[in-house]
Amino acid sequence: MATPAVRMFRRLEGLFCVYKPSGVHWKLVRDSIETNLLKVLNATPSQPLPQEVRFLAQPSTETEAPKGLTLSATSVPVLSKHPLVSGPEFQNIQVGVGHRLDAFSSGVLVLGVGNGNKTLNDLYRTRVTRDYTLEGEFGTATDDFTHTGGVVERSTYEHITQDKLERVLAMLEGANQKALLMYSNVDMRSQEAYEMAVQGLLGPEGKSAPILTGLRCIHFQPPNFILEVQCLNETQKYLRKVVHEIGLELRSTAVCKGIRRTRDGLFTLQDALTRHHWTAADITQAIRQYHSSKKHRKHSLSWDNLNYILLSTDSALIQSS
Amino acid sequence: MGSGHCICSYATLSKASRPQEKSSAGPVFQYVGQNKKPTPKVFVWGFSFTGALGIPSFVVPDSGRKKPRKYQLTPYRLETAEQISSAACGYGFSLIASSTKDASKLWGMGLNKDSQLGFQRTQHSRHQSYDYVLEPSPVALPLVNPLQTRVLQVACGRAHSLVLTDREGVFSMGNNSYGQCGRRIVEDEVYSGSHIIHNIEGFAGRVVQVACGQDHSLFLTETGKVLACGWGADGQTGLGHHNISSSPVEVGGDLSGVEVQQISTYGDCSLAVSRDGQLFGWGNSEYRQLASVTEATQINSPRHLPLKGCGKVVQAACGGTQVAVLNDKGEVFVWGYGILGKGPNLSESSTPEVIPSTLFGRSQFNPSVAVTRIRCGLSHFAAVTDRGELFVWGKNVRGCLGIGKRDDQYFPWRVTVPGQVVDVACGVDHMVAMAKSLL
Repeated sequence: MATPAVRMFRRLEGLFCVYKPSGVHWKLVRDSIETNLLKVLNATPSQPLPQEVRFLAQPSTETEAPKGLTLSATSVPVLSKHPLVSGPEFQNIQVGVGHRLDAFSSGVLVLGVGNGNKTLNDLYRTRVTRDYTLEGEFGTATDDFTHTGGVVERSTYEHITQDKLERVLAMLEGANQKALLMYSNVDMRSQEAYEMAVQGLLGPEGKSAPILTGLRCIHFQPPNFILEVQCLNETQKYLRKVVHEIGLELRSTAVCKGIRRTRDGLFTLQDALTRHHWTAADITQAIRQYHSSKKHRKHSLSWDNLNYILLSTDSALIQSS
Repeated sequence: MGSGHCICSYATLSKASRPQEKSSAGPVFQYVGQNKKPTPKVFVWGFSFTGALGIPSFVVPDSGRKKPRKYQLTPYRLETAEQISSAACGYGFSLIASSTKDASKLWGMGLNKDSQLGFQRTQHSRHQSYDYVLEPSPVALPLVNPLQTRVLQVACGRAHSLVLTDREGVFSMGNNSYGQCGRRIVEDEVYSGSHIIHNIEGFAGRVVQVACGQDHSLFLTETGKVLACGWGADGQTGLGHHNISSSPVEVGGDLSGVEVQQISTYGDCSLAVSRDGQLFGWGNSEYRQLASVTEATQINSPRHLPLKGCGKVVQAACGGTQVAVLNDKGEVFVWGYGILGKGPNLSESSTPEVIPSTLFGRSQFNPSVAVTRIRCGLSHFAAVTDRGELFVWGKNVRGCLGIGKRDDQYFPWRVTVPGQVVDVACGVDHMVAMAKSLL
């Protein structure tokens, strides 16, 4: 018989995403979510204690007692199952974190509860891209590529125009497209490699160097600029380094003022729960939403096909245009 | 006990305690001014032992410990004195030209056994010419006004080359055994060490483009007429016969009355693109290049090629066994024989096959990438996109693709060139690319 707490836990198993604010370690986010869930799980009204029949010695009312004790059957609650004796039902829950975000960045952080952790493992293994928005500023170079680091050098940036920035971004994209082909393990001399290259499916399997599959500038107001990046196997420090290198290519310097992950696999900013919604009720609703959307997708694709959807949306766009 | 001094004097201040000095003293570096123009550069790669790359240390190393570099598999910068505006690769030699008015405007490197690079005086004797020129060496054109005339374009064939100038017509040098230099054929002429650079006469108007086939030459005038001279055994001169022609004769056939805007040839097949986007071809068709109009192996008179689904043709490029055209939307169509660019399964086609634009970098983030130039070497293709990227595919003859390996490439592959590529010239086993720096 599952207790109400266990039933509630079953409803909580799955994947959901939260919005991690910047300046906070991802572990703190995971711990606070786990604490919130535990609080609610352990606060569910427990079942009434089971009763058992014990033969207890009754105090005899008559003074003239026979030689032995008289035992009478009484129904008493089982004290060993009392919550004060056995402790709370859930001591800890398995809350797993998907692709991590370092303290400087913010954005979508995928978490999994219970059985959802197995799906998290699959998420790691498939080739899923992530979207980021990078805010940069020209004119300074620091030692950790952020605007809070120690200044290494300052330089002018009046010569930078949007056209020059586009040229540098085009060059970087070309280099990354080539890296995609180089890291894929397919034999380039086969027809299969050609078919996959046409559809945009060529790419690294498993671990590889970070590759940016898409890069463009969405806002340019010197000294500030905002880039939108789509990448594979990246770390946030690598993305800050990319901003720094863009500054170098433009014969100036640049630092990264903010990194925000806008999409991780199929989880976007819209699905992310903000800090005030890190409660069990909102999380249960988010997980329910995830399960229902998974059912809709189940007949058409699996996690293995996920990368097809994500890496080849361009071919679908071209075919539809 | 201590006097209060810092005991651990080797410790550094932590980051938190270091104040953020944004506006304090500290130099602000200026690396580049606002009016900086991109720097022009030239890159070469391929087979180097003929000297066609123009880098002597590949053939004759500077120090005794180094070994000669036979194949340069990735782009290598060629330092030039002037900005190079036109380059051409022949069969083992290259010509690069600048559009300056200075005295030196044309340099040649590579094979010179037929004086296709002019007379290159040796150090030891002023009567002898070098057979292999390892460095870009000036070619002395016999110009009437050497300080006024500019070189517009160069073209190289198997053993001859053509130089187009803006005011003095076309100059030809090299082998003339089939009349490809446009002058009278002299029997038993010795071409090695020859001083002859001939100014071709016989053009009704000004010539705006020249193209060299293997042993024939094509000229395009500003009125849109095509003239040809040279070897005609495959009908590549398009003059209606299979004989040699030693002076330029106007080409007729389906091209009569048509205004041509571009001509292209490199092997024994020739193509012309008219101003309204139609394609005409003549010459060798053994590899199905002209199979859309004929089953014969040669056509000696230009025929209009009806291309289905290609749209308006803007550029054509002709190789040894394969053909590529570019339409106004930036799409590339290929046909012929060899590695066509659609995987190893497509090795010949007689109808145009389009190469998917995703292979040239078109993606969700860049939906409008288009090819702006296509060129053909003897057995490979090169395409330059509007973003300045160079894609090559085809047979990797002695490393001519420049992709870092010697394997053949069955679909378009990016060449990593440090800069934006402006134009490229393809030869048999080497390539020359003209690029400009990003900034």
